[in-house]
Amino acid sequence: MKGGGLALFGVGLMGGIPAFMAEAAASNKVLAPYKRRRVMVCIFQRGAMDGLMAVTPFTDTYFQEARPTLSLQAVAAGRNNPLLDLDGRWGLHPGMKAFEPMFKDGRLAIVHGIGSPNNTRSHFDAQDYMESGTPFSKGTSSGWLNRAVGLLGHDAATPFTAVSLTSALPRSFYGDNPSLAISNLQDFAIQLKGNPAAANTAARSFEDLYDQTSAGLLQQTGKESFEAMKLLQQADVHNYRPAAGVVYPASPLGNSLRQIAQLIKMDVGLEVAFTESNGWDTHFNQGTDNGIFARNVADLSNSIAAFWQDLDAYQDDVTVMTMTEFGRTVHQNGTGGTDHGRASCNFILGNRVDGGKVHGDVPSLAIENLEDRRDLPVTTDFRSVFSAVADAHLQISNDKVLFPDWVGKKAAVMKV
Amino acid sequence: MKAAIKIIGVLLVAAGGYVLFSSFLAGGLPLRGTQLGPALRMPWKMAGLTERQAAAHLLSRFTYGAMPGQVDVVVQMGLENWFAQQLTAQNPDDSLEQVLNRYDALELSNQQVVETYPRNGQVIRWAIRDGVVDKDSVRVDRAAYRQVIQNYMQEKGYKREQELFRQFFCQKILRAACSQNQLREVMTDFWFNHFNVSISKNDCAEFIPAYERDVIRPNALGRFNELLLKTAKSPAMLYYLDNFNSSSPLDSMPGRKARGLNENYAREVMELHTLGVDGGYTQDDVTQAARVLTGWGVYPLGEVAKAPQAMMLQRFSDEQIARRGFVHEGDFFFNANRHDKGEKVVLGHVFPAGGGYEEGVDLLNMLAHHPSTAKFICHKLAVRFVSDEPAATLVDKMAKTFLEKNGDIRQVLITMVTAPEFWSADALREKTKSPFELAIGAVRSLHAEIDQPMQLYNWVSRMGERKYYYQAPTGFPDKGAYWINTGSLLNRMNFGLALAAGRIPGVHVDLLALNNGHEPESAQAALVIYGHLILPERNLDATVKRLTPMLNDGAIETITGDSTSDPMLAQVVGIIIGSPEYQRR
Repeated sequence: MKGGGLALFGVGLMGGIPAFMAEAAASNKVLAPYKRRRVMVCIFQRGAMDGLMAVTPFTDTYFQEARPTLSLQAVAAGRNNPLLDLDGRWGLHPGMKAFEPMFKDGRLAIVHGIGSPNNTRSHFDAQDYMESGTPFSKGTSSGWLNRAVGLLGHDAATPFTAVSLTSALPRSFYGDNPSLAISNLQDFAIQLKGNPAAANTAARSFEDLYDQTSAGLLQQTGKESFEAMKLLQQADVHNYRPAAGVVYPASPLGNSLRQIAQLIKMDVGLEVAFTESNGWDTHFNQGTDNGIFARNVADLSNSIAAFWQDLDAYQDDVTVMTMTEFGRTVHQNGTGGTDHGRASCNFILGNRVDGGKVHGDVPSLAIENLEDRRDLPVTTDFRSVFSAVADAHLQISNDKVLFPDWVGKKAAVMKV
Repeated sequence: MKAAIKIIGVLLVAAGGYVLFSSFLAGGLPLRGTQLGPALRMPWKMAGLTERQAAAHLLSRFTYGAMPGQVDVVVQMGLENWFAQQLTAQNPDDSLEQVLNRYDALELSNQQVVETYPRNGQVIRWAIRDGVVDKDSVRVDRAAYRQVIQNYMQEKGYKREQELFRQFFCQKILRAACSQNQLREVMTDFWFNHFNVSISKNDCAEFIPAYERDVIRPNALGRFNELLLKTAKSPAMLYYLDNFNSSSPLDSMPGRKARGLNENYAREVMELHTLGVDGGYTQDDVTQAARVLTGWGVYPLGEVAKAPQAMMLQRFSDEQIARRGFVHEGDFFFNANRHDKGEKVVLGHVFPAGGGYEEGVDLLNMLAHHPSTAKFICHKLAVRFVSDEPAATLVDKMAKTFLEKNGDIRQVLITMVTAPEFWSADALREKTKSPFELAIGAVRSLHAEIDQPMQLYNWVSRMGERKYYYQAPTGFPDKGAYWINTGSLLNRMNFGLALAAGRIPGVHVDLLALNNGHEPESAQAALVIYGHLILPERNLDATVKRLTPMLNDGAIETITGDSTSDPMLAQVVGIIIGSPEYQRR
């Protein structure tokens, strides 16, 4: 938004234009009034992703026996696209070819055999436990990301410290520290469709009322709301263009990651971001290199790759981490799919990540090694990975608060 | 379902209510086993309030919001009479019931729900089993596949589960907005939240409509221990907190894998439903309580009823199975084979060996009558009706009544409303409306006609309260700090503007009618008139003062709204609804 536009916006505003904005207008660049900080981006894959199909142990004959029509090979065989060989043992699903260069570059790490110590196979309960960060307690009222916000080492400087690109506040964000759920940045404004002048009057009226006729929480939140709204308006969210050459998939995940990139580049003080990817509960007709699963992993990797590319100069500041509530059975079932299992795998992307490797402790899939004789055993507690990322990237080292009741060591998934 | 429902004028109720109450005084009205006791004397005068202010306060706390003119009606009726009437919850709701009758899913039993509204995954499985669909056909032609499933469902009389919930949500909106028994609706909401279950958990979702209808609402103004016991035996709660499955490790059914103890329900019933987290129980108490509650489950419904063991069970009558220590009551089934028959000790109370279903009932009654429970429940009630931090003296008084009157919820509410703390200045307007309260209050304030209740449900979700989907058993927190955050506050403002401008499809407002068809002569006049209509008995000087210059300055073009031809008026009313003053109750 250019200087002239800013001046127009400022007319009639109670209290005039915030000082930092006036300076920014003068210099024609958005100057961050807030210190530029690092951002941790979490993507929750809801429905339980089949980690064994995402990253396949292709040399394991037990696996091939367990999935006669539901596995891929590392070499082109028949009509199927082959897996992308990562390290001679593990193969990446061909739908995720966008991840291959990042893996080879050492920026993308995979943790296999990751999961929860609580063996519930209920989506609801497992998601609840993972988002609250307390796998054995249902009564925890806060989410782990909300607690992380409290451990950032400074008061939330902006309303955008923790933002979820979802329609409702996710469980991970429940708690006393401020956080925000926005389904769409463009809608974050006072709206009276077709009548911008009236909307403007309404906005000014509300802002004044909240400032002058209320106190405490309503007043404080009113201030933050209008601050947030103006920040977004000033950054002209309607006309955001990703970096040159970047094309996001036209999917909900692509859409949310694009908006997260937007927020990051707006320098509004974002530090913790969250979004979701749905549709991973593949009990029927999972497909191999084509079908539901393939489409999902393509969406996941293409969205994340576009996001990474879009970040451009901000890449150093960002680490992305995926998570899913549990994995799926080693065996395929009677309806072309897989059922609820235990461990899965996750992806961590960033310049500080110990990438180019598949971390974890996965045994051969002989039946005696499987949990309950059916599932990939959990050999890495998700908390050890989440805390490692939070520590290395956001300097959050207080694990007792971040993950109460957890006794363990951080996983060695980060370089520093 | 397109029939509109106008909110009935309260005068009808007032007349009827007066008659009801005087006949009660003459001893002619049965009150479902409880007497109201000595006359309610509300000490509002001592607190320095006028009668009108007191009436407004009662309405803002015990209803979903005053309708225009309702303060007058309550004053005329007498505050105590009005409250007593709300406590008995026997006002007729004829036109509401007429509208609700058009929703055919609302009266179904759990058995009927399971047979008519199967879950998505189930339909596909059945279609495969019946040979209607080939399991590999999904990848071939999605449109054809969907058509086949649709035909199959039509043939079998199955309906989509989403339709069940849609009707359920609509019913909730309509009852809250239109019922004459407002206090019962408010208490239904309170208890549902206290004994929270969630549609987000698939296993219990389909049983939730019946849960609210048969377990919560009828007992919302009754006795706490009865409510507790009924929730414990409902399929919704049994599935939500996994007690349906909890078994003695010494499962005596041959050939079956021992399932084991599940402590989830036992823990939450103590922590969240009765004693409270600081109520004085230990982990061991939780385990022992879980053992007491083993064997509690759901009587086979739907598909499960066709399994061989279930078929066998259905051959016996209830009396026959009772002789063997089993219990069948509605949807509840106590399976003696899964019950841990050893001795247990919970909170110092010994449950001797050999116990069955009855010891579970005894345990729940013990918890229901425990002093920690009295305190915990009364604190929650005080938070709901008085302020986010109620005075300890008030909570103590209420807890005393709770214990002395056997958990009689009505008596506790009477103690609360006759206490000076209820009327003190720091209790007035201290509560922040939840999104649901805001939306329902706004449609009541504006006498809106609701053709499409789902639109309101969606707005309430957008404002941060997706009803029936709160994941954790704790239920939605009852604190301003939970509801008011940057995103949700913005949505509240937008809600006000949209509602007043007639821009919520299916929710019609006629702003001029509220003022008897008279158009206010200026923006300031509109502010004053409508401010008093919508926020009765409040001091709106500050609001009027701040807004007037702005409304006079603003360049307002014509809005193409649908129920109001007066854009200025819509703007004013929208701003009042989104204003900080209106967020408080």
